Amino acid sequence: MGASRVPRPARWLLVGAPNVGKSALFGRLTGIYSTVSNYPGTSVEIVRGRATLAGVCADVVDTPGMHTLLAVTEEERVARRALLAEADATVIHIVDAAHLERSLPLTLQLIALGHPLVVACNLMDEARRRGAAPEVALLAERLGVPVVGTVATTGEGVEPLAAAAAAAVSPSDGWGLPEPFAALARGLVERRALPVAAELALAGDEECLQQVRGVAGADATEAAVAERDGRWGSAEGFAVALATARRRMVLALLAGVVAPPERDEGRRRRALDRLLLSPWTGLPLVALVLYFAFYRLVGGFGAGVLVDQIETLFERWIGPSVRQATALVPWAPLRDLIAGPYGLVTLGVRYAVAIVLPIVTTFFLVFALLEDCGYLPRLALLLDRALKRLGLSGRAVIPLVLGFGCGTMATLVTRTLETRRERLIATLLLALAIPCSAQLGVVLGILSVSAAAVTVWALVLVLVFLVVGRLAALALPGRPPSFYMELPPLRWPSLRNVLIKTGTRVRWYFAEILPLFLLASVLLWAGELTGLLTRATGALVPVVRAIGLPPAAASAFLYGFLRRDFGAAGLYDLARHGALDAAGLTTAAVTITLFVPCVAQFLMMRKERGLGVALTVLAVATTIAFAMGGAVGWLIRAVGGWS
Amino acid sequence: MKCTMCGSASGCTGCPIGADFYVAQSLGGLEAGERAVVRHLDARRGADLRKLLALGLMPGVEVEVERRWPALVLRMGYATVALDAELADAVFVARAV
Repeated sequence: MGASRVPRPARWLLVGAPNVGKSALFGRLTGIYSTVSNYPGTSVEIVRGRATLAGVCADVVDTPGMHTLLAVTEEERVARRALLAEADATVIHIVDAAHLERSLPLTLQLIALGHPLVVACNLMDEARRRGAAPEVALLAERLGVPVVGTVATTGEGVEPLAAAAAAAVSPSDGWGLPEPFAALARGLVERRALPVAAELALAGDEECLQQVRGVAGADATEAAVAERDGRWGSAEGFAVALATARRRMVLALLAGVVAPPERDEGRRRRALDRLLLSPWTGLPLVALVLYFAFYRLVGGFGAGVLVDQIETLFERWIGPSVRQATALVPWAPLRDLIAGPYGLVTLGVRYAVAIVLPIVTTFFLVFALLEDCGYLPRLALLLDRALKRLGLSGRAVIPLVLGFGCGTMATLVTRTLETRRERLIATLLLALAIPCSAQLGVVLGILSVSAAAVTVWALVLVLVFLVVGRLAALALPGRPPSFYMELPPLRWPSLRNVLIKTGTRVRWYFAEILPLFLLASVLLWAGELTGLLTRATGALVPVVRAIGLPPAAASAFLYGFLRRDFGAAGLYDLARHGALDAAGLTTAAVTITLFVPCVAQFLMMRKERGLGVALTVLAVATTIAFAMGGAVGWLIRAVGGWS
Repeated sequence: MKCTMCGSASGCTGCPIGADFYVAQSLGGLEAGERAVVRHLDARRGADLRKLLALGLMPGVEVEVERRWPALVLRMGYATVALDAELADAVFVARAV
C-alpha cells in the first residue's frame, strides 16, 4: 500500500594510489562510527561502509592502493579484481592534486574501463600551499568526467563529491585506449573481451590473458599476441610504449590546468629528509624513535602505567563483585567458568581488557602516528639492504613492525609483499622471533628483575631473527626481491587520521581476538574439569625438565599455545612465587617468546599461506624455541649464572 | 659539457641533429645531484618493468638523483621515489647537460 520501496543503495568503489588519502576520504564519506574495520598499513582487504550524506545513501568500498591497473602485488590484484567484478558500481578515483601527472594515467585507464566515474582531486591543501592548485573545472571539461576538489583531512569538498558520485554516468570514450594500441585490442574487444582486460592481457598480465582467452578464444588471442610481438617486441615493450603514450596524453591534458608551483616544499623539509635517509644520521634516529615510541610509550606508559591502573580496578572492584555474585550459583564448575582461575571474567575478559587493551591501543596509536607522518617508507628505505640479506626487501618493514603490535594482523599484511618467497619468510619470522605487544608487556614484566636477563633475551631474539632469516633466504628458491617505493612528503600527522586508524585497528583486533580469549578460557576450564589439562601438562613435563625448568612451567607453555601472553603470564606467577631463578626466567622467557604463535596467528597463517606452511612453521618454531631456551639456560648456568 | 657526437651543449632533449640518438647510460650510474631524462627501459627485465611503470619511470620523464645510498632516491617533478640498484640498472637515461 503506502509502504515506499527502499531503492537498492548505489555502490561506490574508492580507487587510488597509496598515500593520496584514500582511507581518510573513506572515513569522511562513511563517518568514523561506521561499523567497518579498515585495514592496516595499507588497506589490504576490501573494506565496506555506508555513506549517508548530501541526501545520498551508498555502499562505499575501499580498495587497496594501486598505481595502475597492471598489478604487481597481490593487494593490487585484489583491488583490480574488485574493480572488474563490480560492473555496475560507480568508481571514485582519488588523485593527488599536487601530483596530477602521476595520478591521471590511472584515470585514463578507468575511463577506458567504462564504469560511471568521478575524480576526487584530493590534497588540495598541499597543492594550494605550494601555489599550484589545479583548475578543477578545466580538468573536468578536458576529461569529460566530473572532478571535485577535496581535502579529506578537513572534510572540504566531501558533500559535493558525494553528490557528484550519485549523479555520475559512464564517461564517453574520448580518452580511452589510444591508437595504435586500440587497433590491436579491437580484434579481442569485438569478440566481447572487456577493453581493459584486452589491454592488460596484451601488456602481459597473466590473469587477464586467461580471462581474455576464455572469452575471445585462443586463436584470436594468439593472433593479437603475435601481432603485438611483431610490433613492440614483447608484452613489456607494449606496456612501456602504452604507458609512455598515456603520459603524453596526460601532459597535453594538464596544459593550463596546473601552473608551475610558486615555491618548492621548502628547504627545511628537504633537509629533514636528508637527515632521515642518510644511514649516518638515519640509523641513530631509528634507534631513538624505537626507544621513545615503543619502549617508553608502549612499554612504559601502555604496559606499565595503564595496565597497573586497569588491573587495580579489576582486582579491587570487578573481581570481588563478580565472585560475590557467582557465589549464589549452586554448581561449582559453573561458578568456576565465570569467576574461577580460568574463568571467563577473571581470566578471559580481565586479560583482554586489563593487559592487552592498553598495550595494543598505545602500540596502534604510535604506529598510526609514524604512518601518518610518512616515516614508515623512510624506515623501509633505510633497512632495505639489511633485509635483503634475509630474503626480504624494505617493504617488509611494515608487516614486521606491525608484528610488534599484533602478529596475526601482521601476517595478514604480508600480502603487500611481492613474491611468495618474501611472504613465506616474513610469516616465519613473525611467528618465531617477533614478540607481539601483549607478550612483550608480560615478558618484560617478568624480566624486569634483572637487566642482564632482558639483555640476553633481546640478544637471543635478534640472533634468531637474523640467523633464521638468512637460512630461509638461502634455502628457499626464487629471485631476490626488489625494492621500490614512493616516498610521500613528510607531513604533520593529522589527529583525526591517527585516531581513526587507531580506532579501526583496535576494533579489528578485538573483534578477532576477544572471542579467542573467551574460547581459551572455556577450553582451559573444560580441560581442568575433565582432567585433560593435567594429563597434557604431565606429557610436557619431561620436555620442560630437559631445558632446566621446574615442572610447574609446563602448564604455562600449554596456555602459551592458546595465547602466547597467557603462557608468559603463567611464568609471571611462578617468578613471583620464587619458583624460578634468573637463569630459569631467561630460559622460560626465550622459549615462550619463540614458541608457537597463538591460535589466532596460526589460523591466519593457514588462511593466508595454507595448512602445510602453517604446520611447518609451527614445527620449526617449537623446535627452535625449546632448543634455544635449553641452550641459553645451560650457558647461563655453565658460566656460573648471575645474581 | 658538450655532446661528443654533434658538439651541441644544449643536451639531448631536443637533440639538434634531430636523431633519436643519445649516449645511453644506466640510471644507477648517475651521481647524486645529476639530472637526466629517461630514454628507454630494458625490456628483457620482464616483470621488473611493471614496477618501474608503477613508480612512474618511463621514457620522457625527467629525474634528479637525490641520493644513491642506501637506495637510489629520485625526484620526479614534485614526487620522490626510491628504488634499489638492481631496478635502477634496467633504466637507461640521457644525462642532462
